Amino acid sequence: MPLDDLFDEARRQLTVCNSCRYCAGYCPVWPALELRPAPERRDITHLANLCHDCGDCLSACMYAPPHEFAVAPPSVFADVRKDTYRRYVWPRRAPGRLGTGIAFAAVCLVLALLSRLFTGRWFGAADRPGDPYEVLPHVPLLIAVGVPGVWALAVFGWAALRYWRDIHGRLADLFRPRAWRTTFVQAVQLRHMEGGGAGCEVPGRRGFHLVLLYGFGLCAVSTTAAALLQNVLGAQPPYSWVSVPVISGGVGGIAMLVGGTGLWVRGGGSGFLWSLLVLAATGMLTLLLRETVAFGPLLLLHVAAVVTAFGTAPYSKFVHWIFRMLSIHHDNLER
Amino acid sequence: MSTDVLVVGGGNAALVSALSAADAGARVRLLERAPAHFRGGNSRHTRNIRCAHDTGDEFTTGPYPGAELRRDLGGVGDGPSDERLAELTVRESRSVPAWMTAHGAHWQPALSGTLNLARTNRFFLGGGKALLNSYYRTAERAGVTVEYDTQVTRLEWTGETCTAAHTADGRRIPAASVVCASGGFEANLAWLGRYWGEAAQGFHVRGPSYNDGRVLRELLDAGAQRAGEERGFHAVAVDARGPRYDGGIATRIDAIPFGIVVDRDGRRFHDEGEDIWPKRYASWGRNIALRPGQIAYALWDAKVQGSFLPPMYGPYTAGSVEELAETLGLDGRAVAETVGAFNTAVDRGGPPSRTFTMSRPDGRRTAGLDPPKSNWAQRLDTPPYYAVPMRPGVTFTYLGVAVTDRARVRRVDGGVFGNVFAAGEIMSGNILSTGYLAGFGMTIGTVWGRIAGREAARHALG
Repeated sequence: MPLDDLFDEARRQLTVCNSCRYCAGYCPVWPALELRPAPERRDITHLANLCHDCGDCLSACMYAPPHEFAVAPPSVFADVRKDTYRRYVWPRRAPGRLGTGIAFAAVCLVLALLSRLFTGRWFGAADRPGDPYEVLPHVPLLIAVGVPGVWALAVFGWAALRYWRDIHGRLADLFRPRAWRTTFVQAVQLRHMEGGGAGCEVPGRRGFHLVLLYGFGLCAVSTTAAALLQNVLGAQPPYSWVSVPVISGGVGGIAMLVGGTGLWVRGGGSGFLWSLLVLAATGMLTLLLRETVAFGPLLLLHVAAVVTAFGTAPYSKFVHWIFRMLSIHHDNLER
Repeated sequence: MSTDVLVVGGGNAALVSALSAADAGARVRLLERAPAHFRGGNSRHTRNIRCAHDTGDEFTTGPYPGAELRRDLGGVGDGPSDERLAELTVRESRSVPAWMTAHGAHWQPALSGTLNLARTNRFFLGGGKALLNSYYRTAERAGVTVEYDTQVTRLEWTGETCTAAHTADGRRIPAASVVCASGGFEANLAWLGRYWGEAAQGFHVRGPSYNDGRVLRELLDAGAQRAGEERGFHAVAVDARGPRYDGGIATRIDAIPFGIVVDRDGRRFHDEGEDIWPKRYASWGRNIALRPGQIAYALWDAKVQGSFLPPMYGPYTAGSVEELAETLGLDGRAVAETVGAFNTAVDRGGPPSRTFTMSRPDGRRTAGLDPPKSNWAQRLDTPPYYAVPMRPGVTFTYLGVAVTDRARVRRVDGGVFGNVFAAGEIMSGNILSTGYLAGFGMTIGTVWGRIAGREAARHALG
């Protein structure tokens, strides 16, 4: 659907919603709509990103299709979010599935060549099984992961600023610690997916999403802990099975696999969900098989997944949390 | 599988009857005329329920004693048709919210946006359709057999006992007891036409088109005693551009007290400033039903634009009253004269003693105008001007069957049917003869659904 038509359709539906308001108790989208009797494009964008897609409003709606009013906010909001994920990142063009696949393969190849170049071996980890630097030394590894990582962060930051300017305006309001605390608590609990107590329309979806989110968080803890161990305490990998990096990474990886698979079964997989699953699966395999000959190739595969994930994150659904957090923050500030 | 309790209908009263009968151990079959996605009858457009309670809680802002509810009930229309049943309904209403919660209902915390009803009425989280969805899920778990797209066309009788229901698809469904919870006849314009003539063709029906009163007709033809005013219906002003059926809450018009209302001939015909919501809300449907063509136009100006819910289809607008009238297809000069006379009468009413406010009758009235506007009268003089066309939107009808305190359907000969029970709109005429009390239709449906389901199960199981 052309963009103007999409926003016109959203406006048409929201006019019906504003004349009804039965959904006020489900989530903040509806009280926020009441403040916007004539929603403009940026209002609709804000509402769409505030929506956590629990589906309660649709199942409660007496005007849902096949009623002639054909009101279906979750799907129109999902389409608007797709526009948001495009519009605020740079460059706007996203790699398709094929492009991502090719990029992944290319990264694998480059890493394999780098490994050969620096170690003189093809993925060998002869002396110390499980030592990543036997596969790829620290500095090239850091550069391989760091470049796309920094790129992603820069695109996220730029997108966040532009989005905030559009939906809110005052940049100073980005520094409001108390409101942020509320926002953060609501975000990490997926509070707005609870349907005001009715629960998400798709049973288990919120639970799986939380498991995936916390799993991702634990993996970040694992990486950070490993960096601290190495650079501050001087302890070189591999770390023991009862160390912080291994436990948090192991639990986090399993959680990501469980949460991701659950979401995939419940709601169908997006490319973003697939990349998280590949990330978690290669990471887990690397850990489990670190004392075998498979360690080298698996590690390269995992690093390639990380590099590709960082590089494509700004152009995948990964960005959803940035706009959602900012919309929750804006919502908390405006009431 | 044989059926102990057959429930005819698929709205609130029907589901409560089915759940109540299933709780009592009966095998229950429910026949809903609508397809699954339109299930729920008028209940899918409801929003809250009015029950007596001694203390406020998370969902109501304060106490609402039974005596007060009883008084409120006596204050609408001509009061209850059957004082004893009204009393029973109020008494039983106390335990309704807990029963509803136990059967899957979710509630919306009392908010500021709850229409001044936050103390007396509990709001369903997500509205009536969400409530019905929960009930259908609970019914499924309780083993109730639900059949959609199943219209009952005839009830089969052996003496005073209903032995089976016949459906439009040619089936005969026998049952030990029958609960009729199939609503009124508001969607049957031919039936309304018996009392309203041609005018009925100009009505909109706010609920689904399925409420044609077929089962009510069957009961009356079988000798059931009537309850409720025959030609009575409850109606509000709705947008004339809305659909003929099922427009629900979204097409109602809130603009009336902010300006004036003219009929097809461009003349005012009723005091737009009488009383306060919800009584005013309820009277305009009938006011418009009585006008030629069953159409009227709410007019307002730029001063008040934006201070009420915008109409779903947007207002018509123009730079002058004449132009606006002609956009609507009205006689521009006649409307301009009406507005001129109204403005003169506002001036004659003297300078306003208070600021214009909608929160209470503000006493700003016209002088020497017939009909007057007795509150919120201020000049229509600031372009652009706005208008919406309105029609009567029929919500429900009052005519139903008389019941005993055990929800058994009474007969004109003074007896009762052996195994036929009624709940909801089809028997609400026992309690509300005329008039309107927001959220009380759901109270009647729930209270009497519980009684009808329980008694029907008791009759079937012996």
